[in-house]
Formats: sequence, structure tokens, C-alpha cells
Amino acid sequence: MGTVQLELVIANEAYLQYFVYCCSPSSRNFPSPAKASYSVFFQLIDTFALEIGELKKEMVQSSPTVDTELMDQQGLESEVSGVYLQSPCCGRVGLERDSGYDSLRRRMSVLDRLTQTHPVWLLLAVSEQEAIHILLKQPPGVFLVRKSAALQRKVLSVRVREDESGAAISHFPVRENQYTFSLEGSGISFADLFRLVAFHCISRDVLPFTLKLPEAIASAKTQKELEEVAQLGAGRFWDSALCSQGRSSPRPRRPLSRTLSPQRTYRNREDSQQRQAGTHCDSAPPTLRPQTSPASFHLERRHSSGPLCIVNPLFIQTHRHHHHCEDGLSPYAVKSDNGPEKALKTSVIQVSDHLLDKIKLNSKSQPRPPRPPPPRSMPRRRPAPPPPGPPAATTRPKRMPEAIAATAKQRQSSYKRPAPPRPPMGSKHGGPSKTASSPIPVPSNLPPPRPKKPDLEDQRCHIALDDETIAKALSRAKLSPCQPPPAAPADILLEDNSGSLSVPKERGRQRLSDTSMSTSSSDSLEYSQSPGFSLGLAASPSREDEDDGEEDEDEDYGVGLEADLEMRLRPSFKAQRRKVGVSLGGGSFILPRGLKGQFRKVSGMLSSLVTPERRAVKRIAELSRDKSSYFGSLVQDYISFVQENRGCHTSGMDFLQTLRQFMTQMKAYLRQSSELNPPIESLIPEDQIDQVLEKAMHKCVLKPLKSDIEVALHDFQVSSGAWQQLKENLALAKTKKPQELGVDGAVPPDPMAVEKIRHKFLRMRKVYSPEKKVSLLLRVCKLIYTIMQDNSGRMYGADDFLPMLTYVVAQCDMPQLDTEIQYMMELLDPSLLQGEGGYYLTSAYGAMALIKNFQEEQAARVLSSEARNTLHQWHYRRTAQRSVPSVDDFQNYLRVALQEVDMGCTAKTLVVHPYTTTEEVCSLCAYKFNIPDPENYALFLVTQETSQQLAPDTHPQRIKAELHSRPQTQTFHFLYRKVPNLHLCIPADMHNGNCLS
Amino acid sequence: KMAIRELKVCLLGDTGVGKSSIVCRFVQDHFDHNISPTIGASFLTKTMPCGNELHKFLIWDTAGQERFHSLAPMYYRGSAAAVIVYDITKLDSFHTLKKWVKELKEHGPEDIVVAIAGNKNDLGDIREVPMKEAKEFAESIAAIFIETSARNAVNVEELFQKISKQIPPLENPEGDSNESFKLTRQPAPSTRRCC
Repeated sequence: MGTVQLELVIANEAYLQYFVYCCSPSSRNFPSPAKASYSVFFQLIDTFALEIGELKKEMVQSSPTVDTELMDQQGLESEVSGVYLQSPCCGRVGLERDSGYDSLRRRMSVLDRLTQTHPVWLLLAVSEQEAIHILLKQPPGVFLVRKSAALQRKVLSVRVREDESGAAISHFPVRENQYTFSLEGSGISFADLFRLVAFHCISRDVLPFTLKLPEAIASAKTQKELEEVAQLGAGRFWDSALCSQGRSSPRPRRPLSRTLSPQRTYRNREDSQQRQAGTHCDSAPPTLRPQTSPASFHLERRHSSGPLCIVNPLFIQTHRHHHHCEDGLSPYAVKSDNGPEKALKTSVIQVSDHLLDKIKLNSKSQPRPPRPPPPRSMPRRRPAPPPPGPPAATTRPKRMPEAIAATAKQRQSSYKRPAPPRPPMGSKHGGPSKTASSPIPVPSNLPPPRPKKPDLEDQRCHIALDDETIAKALSRAKLSPCQPPPAAPADILLEDNSGSLSVPKERGRQRLSDTSMSTSSSDSLEYSQSPGFSLGLAASPSREDEDDGEEDEDEDYGVGLEADLEMRLRPSFKAQRRKVGVSLGGGSFILPRGLKGQFRKVSGMLSSLVTPERRAVKRIAELSRDKSSYFGSLVQDYISFVQENRGCHTSGMDFLQTLRQFMTQMKAYLRQSSELNPPIESLIPEDQIDQVLEKAMHKCVLKPLKSDIEVALHDFQVSSGAWQQLKENLALAKTKKPQELGVDGAVPPDPMAVEKIRHKFLRMRKVYSPEKKVSLLLRVCKLIYTIMQDNSGRMYGADDFLPMLTYVVAQCDMPQLDTEIQYMMELLDPSLLQGEGGYYLTSAYGAMALIKNFQEEQAARVLSSEARNTLHQWHYRRTAQRSVPSVDDFQNYLRVALQEVDMGCTAKTLVVHPYTTTEEVCSLCAYKFNIPDPENYALFLVTQETSQQLAPDTHPQRIKAELHSRPQTQTFHFLYRKVPNLHLCIPADMHNGNCLS
Repeated sequence: KMAIRELKVCLLGDTGVGKSSIVCRFVQDHFDHNISPTIGASFLTKTMPCGNELHKFLIWDTAGQERFHSLAPMYYRGSAAAVIVYDITKLDSFHTLKKWVKELKEHGPEDIVVAIAGNKNDLGDIREVPMKEAKEFAESIAAIFIETSARNAVNVEELFQKISKQIPPLENPEGDSNESFKLTRQPAPSTRRCC
């Protein structure tokens, strides 16, 4: 049984977006170098091959954490395919794409209110006690988001009613996947924390009831007022009368307002009075009418009932298919290489922006329909929300497509409400209604496609997303049960140009198989959850695409077999592609041409399709250009420094190292300071943050400096004489036959292919991101492999590859490649040096070194050791940054190995602060390692000869720091393992931190 | 309830005087015997309680090598405090310190808190800079003065505590008076988080 994950990203709109990612890592082994040597020169080649082989081993071995962590955390979601159904944001045409959070709007949605006022409720530094202290004074439903030190996760703390469970505050852990945030136990995931919270302000899902915005936030009428709330900061906000309980209490007067003039306040009040008197004024911002929500709340306050959520018909639709695949009937089933036992199904509803935007606070003229009562009886109840505190270590977050479906279907059948006069949710269902002609069955009573130029503003005024709407949507979703599942969906491909839309089935398969045969490495594993094929929209590129235009163009080059390589390397870019493909294991269907037009038409408003990552990168890039910000002035000053002070660097390498250091430190600064607003942790899942920051630094620093760097590197080369020598040797090498360069047997690429490769190298030179450069280099390498195999019909290993690469590089005759390689070697994020990136980079370096030394055949051995040393030093230097504990490591990370009697060791790197106690680390370990009986486990410090159990109140980070500060550091490990004999050992083995001295 | 307040601090001084070692000791309570020269600048943080506030030091540890001299302004420009370090066993480093003081006066933020740290005071027997002289100089410019030993963990914490105390308490965010926030766009809310 294959592993299938369906991630449904749904909202009330109809333009679907499918992302499917299929990855099945498999390994490719490079045979160890053969011992054939013909001359000194060939010996040199062998040495390189050996060297590279060794390096590769080191590289691959040195990253087990990543692997295990991933396997564990993401569990089976990797090597899986997933489908997102995502609808575009139709709400705002080209308005506020990425700045999203601060653009002024006439009407403020819940999401707006939340994003404006995050300093009040997004309190990552707050402890549980403080959270409780704050919330106790609040009415039920009021919440804040903090970070639990014990769980190392974000937690939504909510005031609940005391009489229900005894505890006045409940805590709901937030789960962070690679791309999304969700509440533990919920199947609905969100692009960021704001959306998560906003959604739960309307739908309780796994919560006992919906969240409630503090009064001052809910009733704010202007942007200004929200800003003032935000300015108060959490401390004063929660203390102040602003968040008083009384619903009807007047909005606080302005002890806080220095910006609002008395008149203005007065006018505002007038407004609200007007509204209350029923005179609806269209331009007046709507308010949350306090009466509405509580009225519906009390019906839902049954703690024990299962999760309640808004479900879109499309979701049910897809989910049904999903069921089929569970039965083994479905064409969707994707076979996965590993773990047939790992059948897993996840359905995630992702709620997109505009759904939340639509959740407007109604004004009088649009009386909000009463919410339908919650289902009285649930056929299948889900367990109550997880209790506060660390969840039981054994229960992994339960994935619950069935549960949701059950809920959905149940609701669907229990409501037969008349449709409301306006069908807000369905009004934009133009997209899927088109797909109705496709094999995917779609409700037939969908409203007609949206008008060409919808008056969005107008629509927004009238749209109120409430249960009425939902009920309506659900009723629309009712499908005839006998409707057969699609015969052969779904391989949707939407080409971005008007070219052929149809893509043969084989292509989808081809890609899948390509994926599975491609080289395995930590890289590929790391990215195995990345969307392989994304269905974007045939799109006129958005403005920010233009910003990146050149690069995006670059990315669209290279198709077919190169695509999957790239896909694993750069998931995010893939996701941005406007090329589209869904493959669910075979079938295919094609979106009608007309629909494509639709897609193109709406593309301008697809701001919600901008991935959170891209949004974050763009934000940072904007900040970096703003010289009035601290970060911006640092970046701009640095850029000027580099442009004006080339002389302060001793060599190209030294220059690049300084650049790398700057980027690394700026990343640390962005992470640690509060300058990014809202904090990046609220937008990007924890384990993605570094990657996003890295990308942002490339854009902020390397992009503007690209030409300066090139010139500087070239100048260094010229002044050292290396340039001239390289050119001469390259010319000589170019005249050599493949055999003279050590190629043995394999047929080299023909001139056409060499030209193609050369072209790829040229493109590699054009991009600024070292990561992208490396991925292009990988494409070249892969292409060379493919050519070698195609030409001879057999597989080749590393020792065949290096001579061939040397030959190709010589034929390409591009002396600039030397500095390109240097650029990549020095600037690539250290984490990417593990695995393929580092491996092929080393190969390229080797090929270049061989060419540089080509003339002096006699001296080859000497030179080879030189080159080897250089490589060694490079590898040590670049990776040492990781193994030598940096301050950040010391402060925040601790590597702990789990030792199991039968399983050996698995290590994880945990976030452990200096003040975290051993006890806390143990509970974190129990959670991370999934230990069912944590009471039998303890943390041990193991050195070569000793092993001691750490007492619960010691501080592992302090112990580590102490050990490291000794003049001669001996190797030591923190080991989490079963206490051999619990009853006998504990007293004897108790140690304090200072027992080590 | 404690508010977290971010303080940007920048370390300046000749190469080899122990800037990075001081930061290392302060942040991780660790001393590395063979630390390599800093390239450009390093960024580290540490949070310390001060009164009823929490001070989060955002520390820029700059490179002492002359070739990186022109990078320093970008780091001290937005700082609330500067720690100028010299090596008590090297008179030259004390002269360099004086140059730094001058430069800060001319180009630094107006009300930057300056602290002078005479490091390596564990090597008293080869001292070249008398404590008295340094202290008097510090007084003459109204700077904090302290002798430290990063190696023996002497006075490092105290150095930063003294800085903390010199930073006026943040009572009135409406004032936005604090230096460290001068360059940030959002004044109070972003720099002040409840905890």
C-alpha cells in the first residue's frame, strides 16, 4: 500500500491549486575508485576520486540528525504525494500582496486586527504562569500565543470556563510542519500563525469554543486605534482597562491616545452610535458586534464534542477519492518505495487569506444570520483536545481525514437549510465548475463562473462568512453517492504559455520514476517533502516576480529530467513556478483551455499564492533597503563597504569569507532581535526559518553585490597570475582527447551536448545565489552522467565521472568557472555542503585543479597533494563552523542521542537553553524520541571512560559549556537512555553539574 | 511583570585584546584558548535581569584588525553602548583605545554609553598599562571602567551589569528617547515585549 498524503488547501473560492509532491529517495552508490592508473596524471585523477569519495562519506555521515529528525518529525509525510487545493485570493486586486499586514484598508478583518496587534497577543517569551496570570482576568475565549519552554513549541493558551474542567486556562500546542502551522490534533493547517488564530476566531475546530478577540481589538474601528493598541505592548495592554471583560463597556477613552484628537474620538463614537441606530453607512468600517458571537457561542460550549470546522465541498469531494485510495481502488495511490506499513493519510484543509478576509464584522444592514446549532450527535467523536502540558509522548499527532470527513458529512446531512439569498462562498466557484467536465466530480449546482470583472469591493461588502454560508456550501456539496470516482485523474498540467496544455500521462510517470532513480543524499531526503510539481497559475508574473524576473526565467529553463533534481534542491522555487502539474499516480486530466484563461485573469489577485517563505524573504529584502531601519543601515553600509574597500582583503577567498560571515551574523541578528515585525517565528515554521533567512540574505547582500564580487574575484586572480596560467592550461587541455584526460571507456558528449552544457554554465554564472548555482552545477553533472550512460548503456561511477567532467570543463573553455566554484565553495550555506552539493562542488574543484595542473605532468604528484590539502582545509574550514560549537549552539542547542538496547543510537539536536534543566530536557527527549515510558529514562553524560546520570535540577548546557572550556576538551555525549536499574541506581548516580570538575 | 528590552552593544578595540573572549565568557561562560581572529563582526545575545526589566544584549563583536576598521561605524552607529577593550599587557592597545574614544565622540551616537575594559588582568605581572592611568582616563570621559579577565571569568558579568545600570530605565515608551531604538522603525512595541 502506498503512502498517500492529501493536503487540501481549501477555501471558499474555486480556483484550485494542486501541488503534488512525490519523492522517493533511493540511493545511488558510487563505486569505490578502481585502481587503474596509466600515468602520473591518471594517478592524480585517482587520488581525487578517492579524496572525493572520502569526503563524500564524511559528508553524508555527518548529517544523521537531519535524516532521523525528518523521518521522525514529518514522519510519513515524506516520500509521499500530497495535494493542495488552494484557492486564490480574490479579495484584493494587486493591493497588498506581500506587505499584507500593514496596508490600510477600509474594513478590517479579523486577520487584519490580529496582525496589527500582535505585540499584544503573540507573546513568545511569556511563561505559562504569566500567561495564566494574564488570561485569568479575561473572559472565556480570550487567548494568547506563547512558546512553551518544556515543549519547545508554540502554544495557544486560551481562557476557558472554569466550571468545565477545573482549569481556567487550556493550552493547545501548535504543530509546525515544513510549510504550515496547525493546532495539535486538528487537520486544518495554515500558512502562518495569524491565519491559524484568525480561523479559530470563527471556527472552533478542536477548541472548546471559538477564540475571542480582546474587546479593544474587536471593537477598534480604525487602523489608528489598532496601532495604539499595539503600541501599548502586552504589559500595559493586559493591565489596562482596555481588555476589560464587560462587553458593553465603552471603549476605553484615550489615556493612550496622543494621536487621536478629541474630536476624532468623538466622531468615531458618533459613527458607532449611528451604526447602532441602524443607519448603515457604507463607508464606515464595520465593527465586531459583540452580541453576535457570544450568542452563538454558548451553543457550542460543549467541551467534549469533536472538532468542528468549516468544510468546503471541494474538500469532501477530494476526500472521497481519498477514501477510495484507502480501499485500494483508487488511481490516486502512489506507490512508495519504502515502508508499505507507513500508509498514512492526512487531509489538511488550508485556509487561505480571503476566507479570513471575508470574515468581516457585519454591520447592521447585513444582519448576520444566526449560526446553525452544532451537530447534536456526532457519529464518531473525536477525543477532547489535548490536555495542557506535554502531550503523552506516545500519541503522535493523530491525522484524521476520516474524522473530518465524518464531521463534514454528518453536518452536511444534518442541515438542510434553505440557501441564503446570496451565495457568498460559491459566488466565485467559476474554476471548479469548469472542472466539472473533468473526471473529478464536482457539485453540479454550482453557480456560474464569476463575471469577468467582478466588483470585488462590492462583493466584499456583502460577503459574510458564517455558518449560514457554510451550511449552504455543505448542502451544495451533497453529491449523489453513486457518482463514480474519476476514472483516471489526475495529472493536471497547466503550461504557462499558451502552448500545449495537454500533457501525456507518461510524463507524469516519467517524472515519478526520474525522481525515484535520482541520487539520494541528505539533500534529497531533506527536501523529500517538497512539492514536486506545483500547480501554479498560468500567470502574468506578478510585480514581485518581475523583481526577480531574471532568476525566474532561469529557473524555468531546464525541464524534464533536470527538473526533479532541481525540485529536490529548491522546493520553494519550484512552488513558485507557474508550471503546473498534478500527478496522483497515473491518471491525468487536463484543464480546459477556457479555464486557463480564467486562471490568467485572476492571477493578478493571487497574492495569497505567494508562499509565506517568499513573503518573508521579500519583507526582509525591503527592510534591508530601508536605511532608516537598523538592519537596513547595516546591510547598506556593508554593501558600500564592500564596494569601496576591496583593498582590505588579502585574497578572493578572504573576501568571500568576510561576505559569508556577514550573512551568517545578520541571520543571527534577524533571528534574535525583534526588528522583524511580526516576528518571523509567526510566519515561518521553526525548522524553515534558517533556510528562509539564508535566501533573504542572498537577496539582500549577494544580489546587489554580484558584479562587484565578480570583478573583485577576477582582479585577485589576475594580480596573482592565476588567471593567465589558467587560460593557457585550459587552451591546452581543450586540445586533448578524452583518453588523455583519463576518460576510460565512456563516450564523451558530442559538441552539441558540450554546447548545451556550456550554456548551462553560462546560466550558472548569471545567478547570484550560491544555492542556485550549485543546483545548476548539479544539473550539469547529472546531464553528463546521463550522456555517459546513454552513450554506452551502462552505469558509471565517480572514478569515471571526474575525468569526464574534466574533459567537459576543458571543452567548455570557460576560465571564469574557477571563480564560480570558489564563490560556491565559500558562500554556500554550510548545511548544504553536506551531501550532493558539497560532493559535486568538490568534483568540480577537482576537475578545475586537474586542468590547472595539466601542463606539469611530472610535478603532478606534488601538486596533487597541494590540491588535496586545499580541499581538506576547505572542507574542514567550512564544516568546522558547524562542528565547533558556535555561541549560538552553546546557547540554544544540545545534541542528545537516544540509546536503545535493540536499536542502537539515534541523535537529535534539541533546542535547549542554558537555563533548561535536565528534567526539562528529559521530557523534551521523551517527546521527541517518542518514548512511551519516560519515567524509566534519564539523561546521561558519557565520556570515553565514564557515564553518569544527570540529576534533574542540573543544567546540561552549563555542563557542556564547562566541558568545552577546558583546555583539552575530551569527547563527550549526552545520552538519553533507559536507567539500567531504576531502584538501585538513582541515589548512587545522582550528580550535580559540578561533579564534573 | 518584566519587559524585555533590547540593548545593542558593540565591542571595539585592538586585535588580540580579547573582545571575543569577553563576549564568549559573558554569553556562554566559556573560554577558548585558541580563538581565531574575528572576521568582520560576530553577533551574540544574552539576556540579563536589570531592576524590573530584562535586558537583552544584542552584541556586535567587531574585528580588531586594522583592515576591518572601516566596518566598525556601521556597528557602533546604532548602539546603546560601546565596550572598548584594551589589553593591560600591551600599551599600544591602550593607545588604540584612545583613538576609538575619539572616533566615537566624533561619529558615534550622542548619548552612547561607553565602557572601558582592561582585559587580561590575570597577567598582572607583565602589565604595561597601570590601572590608575586607565581609570583616570575613563573618568575624564565619563566612561565606565573595569579590569576584566575573560580567562578567569573576572568582572565580565559586572562589566555588562554596569552598562545595564547606565541605561536609563524605560518608563515612558511614548518618549522613545532611548538610543538603542533610535534607528528602529517601530519604537515601543517591537522592542518591548512582555514576558
